[in-house]
Amino acid sequence: MYQTTNIYLSPDLKMSDIILNNPYLMLLLEHFGIEVPLQEKSLQEICLENDLNTELVLTFANLYNGANNASADLFSHKDVLAIVNYLQKSHRYYSEEIYPNILNTIRQMSLMNHHKEMVLVEKFFMDYMNEVTEHLNYENEVVFPYARGLFEQLKNESPVFRKSTYAVSEYKEHHNDIEEKLDDLRNLLLKYLPQENDQVLRRKVLFSLYELEYDLNIHSQIEDLILIPLVTSMEKQLKATR
Amino acid sequence: MNKPMHIVFAESSDIVMEGLVGILTKSGLKFQISKAKTFDDIEICHSRKNCDLIFINPSLIHNNSKVFNALKCQLQTPKWVGLVYSFHDQQILSLLDAIITISDSPETIISLVKSIINSDPLQEHKKLLDVLSEREIDVLKLVATGLANKEIADKLNISIHTVITHRKNISQKIGIKSVSGLTIYAVVKKFISLETITE
Repeated sequence: MYQTTNIYLSPDLKMSDIILNNPYLMLLLEHFGIEVPLQEKSLQEICLENDLNTELVLTFANLYNGANNASADLFSHKDVLAIVNYLQKSHRYYSEEIYPNILNTIRQMSLMNHHKEMVLVEKFFMDYMNEVTEHLNYENEVVFPYARGLFEQLKNESPVFRKSTYAVSEYKEHHNDIEEKLDDLRNLLLKYLPQENDQVLRRKVLFSLYELEYDLNIHSQIEDLILIPLVTSMEKQLKATR
Repeated sequence: MNKPMHIVFAESSDIVMEGLVGILTKSGLKFQISKAKTFDDIEICHSRKNCDLIFINPSLIHNNSKVFNALKCQLQTPKWVGLVYSFHDQQILSLLDAIITISDSPETIISLVKSIINSDPLQEHKKLLDVLSEREIDVLKLVATGLANKEIADKLNISIHTVITHRKNISQKIGIKSVSGLTIYAVVKKFISLETITE
Protein backbone atom coordinates (compact mmCIF):
# COMPACT_ATOMS: atom_id res chain seq x y z
CA MET A 1 0.00 0.00 0.00
CA TYR A 2 2.91 2.39 0.51
CA GLN A 3 4.47 1.72 -2.86
CA THR A 4 1.77 3.39 -4.89
CA THR A 5 1.86 5.18 -8.18
CA ASN A 6 1.05 8.34 -6.26
CA ILE A 7 3.13 11.27 -7.29
CA TYR A 8 5.57 13.09 -5.08
CA LEU A 9 3.79 16.38 -4.51
CA SER A 10 4.94 19.94 -5.09
CA PRO A 11 3.34 23.18 -3.83
CA ASP A 12 2.17 24.42 -7.23
CA LEU A 13 -0.07 21.39 -7.92
CA LYS A 14 -3.79 21.96 -7.84
CA MET A 15 -5.13 20.81 -4.49
CA SER A 16 -8.23 19.27 -6.08
CA ASP A 17 -6.05 17.19 -8.45
CA ILE A 18 -3.97 15.99 -5.53
CA ILE A 19 -7.10 14.73 -3.78
CA LEU A 20 -8.67 13.23 -6.89
CA ASN A 21 -5.49 11.20 -7.24
CA ASN A 22 -5.63 10.00 -3.63
CA PRO A 23 -8.97 10.59 -1.87
CA TYR A 24 -7.49 9.72 1.54
CA LEU A 25 -6.09 13.25 1.48
CA MET A 26 -9.61 14.43 2.32
CA LEU A 27 -8.61 13.45 5.84
CA LEU A 28 -5.61 15.76 5.61
CA LEU A 29 -7.94 18.65 4.77
CA GLU A 30 -10.15 17.82 7.73
CA HIS A 31 -7.28 17.43 10.17
CA PHE A 32 -5.84 20.79 9.08
CA GLY A 33 -9.27 22.41 9.16
CA ILE A 34 -9.17 23.27 5.44
CA GLU A 35 -12.65 23.64 3.99
CA VAL A 36 -13.99 22.70 0.57
CA PRO A 37 -14.79 23.79 -2.14
CA LEU A 38 -11.20 24.14 -3.22
CA GLN A 39 -11.85 25.86 -6.56
CA GLU A 40 -8.80 25.87 -8.80
CA LYS A 41 -6.35 26.75 -6.04
CA SER A 42 -2.91 25.24 -5.70
CA LEU A 43 -1.66 23.62 -2.51
CA GLN A 44 0.43 26.71 -1.80
CA GLU A 45 -2.51 29.09 -2.24
CA ILE A 46 -4.67 26.97 0.04
CA CYS A 47 -1.94 27.06 2.68
CA LEU A 48 -1.57 30.84 2.49
CA GLU A 49 -5.31 31.28 2.79
CA ASN A 50 -5.50 29.06 5.84
CA ASP A 51 -2.38 30.48 7.43
CA LEU A 52 -0.55 27.15 7.32
CA ASN A 53 3.12 26.44 6.69
CA THR A 54 3.23 25.11 3.11
CA GLU A 55 6.22 22.90 3.86
CA LEU A 56 4.30 21.25 6.70
CA VAL A 57 1.18 20.56 4.67
CA LEU A 58 3.32 19.31 1.80
CA THR A 59 5.25 16.93 4.04
CA PHE A 60 2.07 15.49 5.58
CA ALA A 61 0.45 15.20 2.14
CA ASN A 62 3.46 13.30 0.85
CA LEU A 63 3.18 10.94 3.82
CA TYR A 64 -0.36 10.16 2.66
CA ASN A 65 1.08 9.51 -0.79
CA GLY A 66 3.52 6.97 0.55
CA ALA A 67 6.68 9.02 1.08
CA ASN A 68 8.93 7.59 3.74
CA ASN A 69 11.39 10.36 4.38
CA ALA A 70 9.61 12.79 6.69
CA SER A 71 12.05 14.61 8.90
CA ALA A 72 11.89 17.28 11.57
CA ASP A 73 14.81 19.16 9.98
CA LEU A 74 12.51 21.26 7.81
CA PHE A 75 10.51 22.60 10.72
CA SER A 76 10.98 25.03 13.53
CA HIS A 77 9.54 25.23 17.02
CA LYS A 78 6.70 27.48 15.94
CA ASP A 79 5.30 24.64 13.78
CA VAL A 80 4.63 22.65 16.94
CA LEU A 81 1.30 24.36 17.52
CA ALA A 82 0.00 23.48 14.05
CA ILE A 83 1.25 19.90 14.38
CA VAL A 84 -0.42 19.44 17.74
CA ASN A 85 -3.68 20.90 16.43
CA TYR A 86 -3.53 18.53 13.49
CA LEU A 87 -2.95 15.50 15.68
CA GLN A 88 -5.71 16.51 18.05
CA LYS A 89 -8.19 16.84 15.20
CA SER A 90 -7.24 13.40 13.94
CA HIS A 91 -7.90 12.04 17.44
CA ARG A 92 -11.42 13.35 17.13
CA TYR A 93 -11.79 11.50 13.84
CA TYR A 94 -10.75 8.26 15.52
CA SER A 95 -12.78 8.53 18.68
CA GLU A 96 -15.92 10.23 17.39
CA GLU A 97 -16.20 8.72 13.96
CA ILE A 98 -14.27 5.69 12.95
CA TYR A 99 -14.16 3.66 16.19
CA PRO A 100 -17.90 4.08 16.91
CA ASN A 101 -18.52 3.19 13.27
CA ILE A 102 -16.63 -0.07 13.51
CA LEU A 103 -18.23 -0.94 16.83
CA ASN A 104 -21.61 -0.33 15.31
CA THR A 105 -20.92 -2.64 12.38
CA ILE A 106 -19.60 -5.35 14.70
CA ARG A 107 -22.81 -5.10 16.71
CA GLN A 108 -24.82 -5.49 13.51
CA MET A 109 -22.73 -8.57 12.77
CA SER A 110 -23.75 -10.04 16.14
CA LEU A 111 -27.40 -9.65 15.16
CA MET A 112 -26.85 -11.70 12.02
CA ASN A 113 -24.25 -14.14 13.21
CA HIS A 114 -25.26 -16.24 16.19
CA HIS A 115 -22.00 -18.07 16.72
CA LYS A 116 -21.04 -17.66 20.32
CA GLU A 117 -17.60 -16.29 19.43
CA MET A 118 -19.23 -13.04 18.30
CA VAL A 119 -19.68 -12.08 21.95
CA LEU A 120 -15.93 -12.32 22.34
CA VAL A 121 -15.26 -10.29 19.23
CA GLU A 122 -17.49 -7.52 20.47
CA LYS A 123 -15.74 -7.58 23.81
CA PHE A 124 -12.35 -7.66 22.10
CA PHE A 125 -13.15 -4.50 20.21
CA MET A 126 -14.65 -2.73 23.22
CA ASP A 127 -11.55 -3.48 25.29
CA TYR A 128 -9.37 -2.31 22.45
CA MET A 129 -11.39 0.90 22.10
CA ASN A 130 -11.03 1.62 25.79
CA GLU A 131 -7.29 1.12 25.56
CA VAL A 132 -7.02 3.45 22.60
CA THR A 133 -9.22 6.05 24.24
CA GLU A 134 -6.93 5.98 27.24
CA HIS A 135 -3.91 6.52 25.00
CA LEU A 136 -5.60 9.33 23.06
CA ASN A 137 -6.60 11.01 26.31
CA TYR A 138 -3.05 10.69 27.57
CA GLU A 139 -1.79 12.48 24.47
CA ASN A 140 -4.54 15.10 24.64
CA GLU A 141 -4.03 15.77 28.34
CA VAL A 142 -0.30 15.23 28.84
CA VAL A 143 1.77 15.16 25.67
CA PHE A 144 0.11 17.92 23.66
CA PRO A 145 -0.18 20.46 26.49
CA TYR A 146 3.43 19.68 27.36
CA ALA A 147 4.56 20.44 23.79
CA ARG A 148 2.48 23.62 23.70
CA GLY A 149 3.84 24.62 27.11
CA LEU A 150 7.44 24.22 25.98
CA PHE A 151 6.78 26.48 23.02
CA GLU A 152 5.15 29.12 25.23
CA GLN A 153 8.05 29.01 27.65
CA LEU A 154 10.53 29.48 24.81
CA LYS A 155 8.60 32.49 23.60
CA ASN A 156 8.74 34.13 27.03
CA GLU A 157 11.85 35.99 28.07
CA SER A 158 12.40 34.06 31.28
CA PRO A 159 11.75 30.42 30.67
CA VAL A 160 10.97 28.18 33.61
CA PHE A 161 11.90 24.64 32.74
CA ARG A 162 9.79 21.94 34.28
CA LYS A 163 10.80 18.34 34.16
CA SER A 164 8.95 16.23 31.64
CA THR A 165 6.30 13.93 33.04
CA TYR A 166 6.06 11.87 29.94
CA ALA A 167 8.40 9.26 28.58
CA VAL A 168 8.91 8.60 24.92
CA SER A 169 9.36 4.89 25.54
CA GLU A 170 5.94 4.52 27.12
CA TYR A 171 4.47 6.27 24.15
CA LYS A 172 6.11 3.89 21.69
CA GLU A 173 4.76 0.89 23.59
CA HIS A 174 1.20 2.21 23.21
CA HIS A 175 1.56 2.58 19.46
CA ASN A 176 2.80 -0.97 18.94
CA ASP A 177 -0.10 -2.29 20.98
CA ILE A 178 -2.67 -0.38 18.96
CA GLU A 179 -1.36 -1.71 15.67
CA GLU A 180 -1.02 -5.26 16.97
CA LYS A 181 -4.66 -5.60 17.97
CA LEU A 182 -5.86 -4.20 14.65
CA ASP A 183 -3.89 -6.95 12.93
CA ASP A 184 -5.39 -9.57 15.23
CA LEU A 185 -8.93 -8.45 14.49
CA ARG A 186 -8.32 -8.46 10.76
CA ASN A 187 -6.92 -11.97 10.86
CA LEU A 188 -9.80 -13.25 12.97
CA LEU A 189 -12.41 -11.74 10.63
CA LEU A 190 -10.74 -12.92 7.47
CA LYS A 191 -9.36 -16.31 8.42
CA TYR A 192 -11.11 -17.84 11.39
CA LEU A 193 -14.49 -16.54 12.56
CA PRO A 194 -17.34 -18.73 11.30
CA GLN A 195 -19.67 -16.87 8.99
CA GLU A 196 -23.44 -16.49 9.04
CA ASN A 197 -25.08 -13.93 6.74
CA ASP A 198 -22.48 -11.38 7.70
CA GLN A 199 -20.04 -11.24 4.82
CA VAL A 200 -21.11 -7.77 3.68
CA LEU A 201 -20.82 -6.42 7.21
CA ARG A 202 -17.47 -8.08 7.58
CA ARG A 203 -16.27 -6.37 4.42
CA LYS A 204 -17.41 -3.06 5.88
CA VAL A 205 -15.42 -3.68 9.04
CA LEU A 206 -12.34 -4.63 7.04
CA PHE A 207 -12.62 -1.51 4.88
CA SER A 208 -12.98 0.69 7.96
CA LEU A 209 -10.03 -1.00 9.61
CA TYR A 210 -7.97 -0.34 6.50
CA GLU A 211 -8.99 3.31 6.49
CA LEU A 212 -8.18 3.57 10.17
CA GLU A 213 -4.79 1.95 9.77
CA TYR A 214 -3.94 4.21 6.85
CA ASP A 215 -4.48 7.30 8.98
CA LEU A 216 -2.99 5.85 12.17
CA ASN A 217 0.18 4.97 10.33
CA ILE A 218 0.65 8.56 9.16
CA HIS A 219 -0.35 9.82 12.59
CA SER A 220 2.41 7.87 14.30
CA GLN A 221 4.98 8.86 11.68
CA ILE A 222 4.17 12.51 12.34
CA GLU A 223 4.60 11.94 16.05
CA ASP A 224 7.76 9.85 15.84
CA LEU A 225 9.60 11.65 13.07
CA ILE A 226 8.49 15.24 13.52
CA LEU A 227 6.80 16.04 16.82
CA ILE A 228 9.07 14.13 19.20
CA PRO A 229 12.31 15.44 17.66
CA LEU A 230 10.94 19.00 17.88
CA VAL A 231 9.93 18.49 21.51
CA THR A 232 13.38 17.12 22.30
CA SER A 233 15.02 20.09 20.63
CA MET A 234 12.83 22.55 22.55
CA GLU A 235 13.75 20.80 25.80
CA LYS A 236 17.43 21.15 24.91
CA GLN A 237 17.12 24.81 24.09
CA LEU A 238 15.26 25.53 27.32
CA LYS A 239 17.92 23.76 29.35
CA ALA A 240 20.60 25.76 27.57
CA THR A 241 18.95 29.13 28.22
CA ARG A 242 18.59 28.46 31.91
CA MET B 1 0.72 -7.48 7.49
CA ASN B 2 4.44 -6.89 7.73
CA LYS B 3 5.56 -3.85 9.61
CA PRO B 4 7.71 -1.45 7.59
CA MET B 5 11.31 -1.77 8.64
CA HIS B 6 13.18 1.15 10.03
CA ILE B 7 16.37 2.01 8.17
CA VAL B 8 18.86 4.57 9.37
CA PHE B 9 21.27 6.25 6.97
CA ALA B 10 24.51 7.49 8.45
CA GLU B 11 25.75 8.81 5.12
CA SER B 12 26.54 12.42 4.34
CA SER B 13 26.09 12.23 0.56
CA ASP B 14 22.49 12.83 -0.46
CA ILE B 15 23.18 11.40 -3.91
CA VAL B 16 24.30 8.10 -2.45
CA MET B 17 21.46 8.00 0.06
CA GLU B 18 18.66 8.96 -2.34
CA GLY B 19 20.02 6.54 -4.92
CA LEU B 20 19.94 3.70 -2.44
CA VAL B 21 16.44 4.65 -1.26
CA GLY B 22 15.30 4.58 -4.91
CA ILE B 23 16.70 1.09 -5.39
CA LEU B 24 15.14 -0.18 -2.19
CA THR B 25 11.75 1.36 -3.01
CA LYS B 26 11.63 -0.61 -6.25
CA SER B 27 12.37 -3.82 -4.38
CA GLY B 28 8.90 -3.83 -2.81
CA LEU B 29 10.33 -3.78 0.69
CA LYS B 30 8.36 -1.59 3.05
CA PHE B 31 10.51 0.76 5.03
CA GLN B 32 10.81 4.04 6.83
CA ILE B 33 14.03 6.00 6.89
CA SER B 34 15.82 8.28 9.29
CA LYS B 35 18.99 10.26 8.73
CA ALA B 36 21.83 10.36 11.20
CA LYS B 37 25.01 12.39 11.21
CA THR B 38 26.69 11.03 14.32
CA PHE B 39 26.66 7.95 16.53
CA ASP B 40 24.53 9.91 18.96
CA ASP B 41 21.97 10.50 16.22
CA ILE B 42 21.88 6.76 15.51
CA GLU B 43 21.24 6.03 19.14
CA ILE B 44 18.42 8.58 19.24
CA CYS B 45 16.84 7.14 16.08
CA HIS B 46 16.94 3.69 17.61
CA SER B 47 15.41 4.84 20.86
CA ARG B 48 12.50 6.40 19.00
CA LYS B 49 11.78 3.36 16.90
CA ASN B 50 13.86 0.20 16.86
CA CYS B 51 16.12 0.15 13.81
CA ASP B 52 16.39 -2.96 11.69
CA LEU B 53 19.14 -1.81 9.41
CA ILE B 54 21.78 0.89 9.51
CA PHE B 55 23.62 2.00 6.39
CA ILE B 56 26.82 3.64 7.44
CA ASN B 57 29.67 5.37 5.68
CA PRO B 58 32.74 3.64 7.15
CA SER B 59 34.58 6.95 7.41
CA LEU B 60 32.37 7.65 10.41
CA ILE B 61 34.11 4.76 12.16
CA HIS B 62 37.66 5.98 11.48
CA ASN B 63 39.31 6.87 14.76
CA ASN B 64 36.03 6.05 16.46
CA SER B 65 36.01 2.27 16.36
CA LYS B 66 35.71 2.02 20.14
CA VAL B 67 32.60 4.16 20.17
CA PHE B 68 31.26 2.18 17.24
CA ASN B 69 31.81 -1.17 18.92
CA ALA B 70 30.21 0.04 22.11
CA LEU B 71 27.15 1.26 20.20
CA LYS B 72 26.92 -1.95 18.21
CA CYS B 73 26.93 -4.00 21.41
CA GLN B 74 24.43 -1.70 23.05
CA LEU B 75 21.88 -1.70 20.22
CA GLN B 76 22.30 -5.39 19.36
CA THR B 77 19.40 -5.88 16.94
CA PRO B 78 20.16 -3.64 13.95
CA LYS B 79 22.38 -4.92 11.15
CA TRP B 80 25.20 -2.65 10.02
CA VAL B 81 25.90 -2.32 6.31
CA GLY B 82 28.83 -0.24 5.09
CA LEU B 83 28.52 1.99 2.03
CA VAL B 84 31.89 1.76 0.40
CA TYR B 85 32.97 4.16 -2.32
CA SER B 86 36.44 5.08 -1.23
CA PHE B 87 39.34 3.24 0.34
CA HIS B 88 38.81 1.95 3.87
CA ASP B 89 40.98 -0.10 6.14
CA GLN B 90 39.97 -3.77 6.08
CA GLN B 91 39.98 -3.72 9.85
CA ILE B 92 37.18 -1.18 9.87
CA LEU B 93 35.12 -2.97 7.24
CA SER B 94 35.38 -6.20 9.19
CA LEU B 95 33.46 -4.60 12.05
CA LEU B 96 30.33 -4.40 9.87
CA ASP B 97 27.79 -7.12 9.11
CA ALA B 98 28.01 -6.53 5.35
CA ILE B 99 29.13 -3.98 2.80
CA ILE B 100 27.73 -2.49 -0.38
CA THR B 101 30.10 -0.96 -2.89
CA ILE B 102 29.31 1.84 -5.30
CA SER B 103 29.50 -0.49 -8.31
CA ASP B 104 27.05 -3.11 -6.96
CA SER B 105 23.99 -3.73 -9.16
CA PRO B 106 20.49 -3.02 -7.77
CA GLU B 107 19.78 -6.78 -7.78
CA THR B 108 22.85 -7.51 -5.67
CA ILE B 109 21.95 -4.78 -3.21
CA ILE B 110 18.33 -5.90 -2.86
CA SER B 111 19.20 -9.55 -2.37
CA LEU B 112 21.85 -8.60 0.17
CA VAL B 113 19.37 -6.47 2.13
CA LYS B 114 16.70 -9.18 1.99
CA SER B 115 19.09 -11.85 3.16
CA ILE B 116 20.48 -9.73 5.95
CA ILE B 117 17.09 -8.87 7.43
CA ASN B 118 15.85 -12.45 7.29
CA SER B 119 19.04 -13.89 8.61
CA ASP B 120 17.08 -16.17 10.91
CA PRO B 121 16.94 -19.33 8.74
CA LEU B 122 14.49 -21.07 11.12
CA GLN B 123 11.85 -18.48 10.38
CA GLU B 124 11.93 -19.17 6.67
CA HIS B 125 11.63 -22.87 7.27
CA LYS B 126 8.66 -22.57 9.57
CA LYS B 127 6.63 -20.58 7.08
CA LEU B 128 6.13 -23.84 5.20
CA LEU B 129 4.16 -25.46 8.00
CA ASP B 130 1.50 -23.12 9.29
CA VAL B 131 -0.21 -25.81 11.34
CA LEU B 132 0.13 -25.69 15.09
CA SER B 133 1.99 -28.58 16.68
CA GLU B 134 0.44 -30.49 19.59
CA ARG B 135 2.76 -28.80 22.05
CA GLU B 136 1.88 -25.39 20.67
CA ILE B 137 -1.80 -26.19 21.10
CA ASP B 138 -1.10 -27.14 24.75
CA VAL B 139 0.54 -23.76 25.26
CA LEU B 140 -2.19 -21.92 23.36
CA LYS B 141 -4.92 -23.46 25.56
CA LEU B 142 -3.21 -22.20 28.69
CA VAL B 143 -2.48 -18.75 27.23
CA ALA B 144 -6.12 -18.47 26.19
CA THR B 145 -7.35 -19.21 29.70
CA GLY B 146 -5.28 -16.30 30.95
CA LEU B 147 -2.26 -18.00 32.48
CA ALA B 148 1.07 -16.15 32.69
CA ASN B 149 4.21 -17.57 31.06
CA LYS B 150 5.61 -18.69 34.40
CA GLU B 151 2.43 -20.61 35.27
CA ILE B 152 2.38 -22.25 31.84
CA ALA B 153 6.01 -23.28 32.23
CA ASP B 154 5.27 -24.90 35.58
CA LYS B 155 2.17 -26.69 34.33
CA LEU B 156 3.85 -28.14 31.25
CA ASN B 157 7.15 -28.72 32.97
CA ILE B 158 9.14 -26.67 30.49
CA SER B 159 11.26 -23.54 30.83
CA ILE B 160 9.84 -20.04 30.51
CA HIS B 161 12.13 -19.58 27.55
CA THR B 162 10.48 -22.49 25.74
CA VAL B 163 7.03 -21.08 26.49
CA ILE B 164 8.04 -17.77 24.94
CA THR B 165 9.42 -19.52 21.84
CA HIS B 166 6.18 -21.48 21.45
CA ARG B 167 4.13 -18.31 21.78
CA LYS B 168 6.23 -16.56 19.19
CA ASN B 169 5.78 -19.42 16.75
CA ILE B 170 2.03 -19.62 17.38
CA SER B 171 1.61 -15.91 16.63
CA GLN B 172 3.72 -16.19 13.53
CA LYS B 173 1.70 -19.10 12.20
CA ILE B 174 -1.80 -17.79 12.81
CA GLY B 175 -1.18 -14.04 12.68
CA ILE B 176 -2.61 -13.27 16.11
CA LYS B 177 -0.51 -11.80 18.91
CA SER B 178 -2.69 -10.47 21.73
CA VAL B 179 -3.95 -12.75 24.49
CA SER B 180 -7.57 -11.77 23.90
CA GLY B 181 -7.15 -12.46 20.18
CA LEU B 182 -5.61 -15.86 20.91
CA THR B 183 -8.53 -16.65 23.21
CA ILE B 184 -11.02 -16.03 20.42
CA TYR B 185 -8.96 -18.20 18.08
CA ALA B 186 -8.84 -21.03 20.64
CA VAL B 187 -12.63 -20.91 21.07
CA VAL B 188 -13.24 -20.85 17.31
CA LYS B 189 -10.97 -23.88 16.91
CA LYS B 190 -12.68 -25.54 19.89
CA PHE B 191 -9.42 -25.94 21.82
CA ILE B 192 -11.23 -24.45 24.78
CA SER B 193 -14.89 -23.83 25.51
CA LEU B 194 -16.43 -20.43 26.00
CA GLU B 195 -17.40 -21.45 29.53
CA THR B 196 -13.77 -21.92 30.62
CA ILE B 197 -13.03 -18.26 30.07
CA THR B 198 -16.24 -16.69 31.27
CA GLU B 199 -15.80 -18.36 34.65
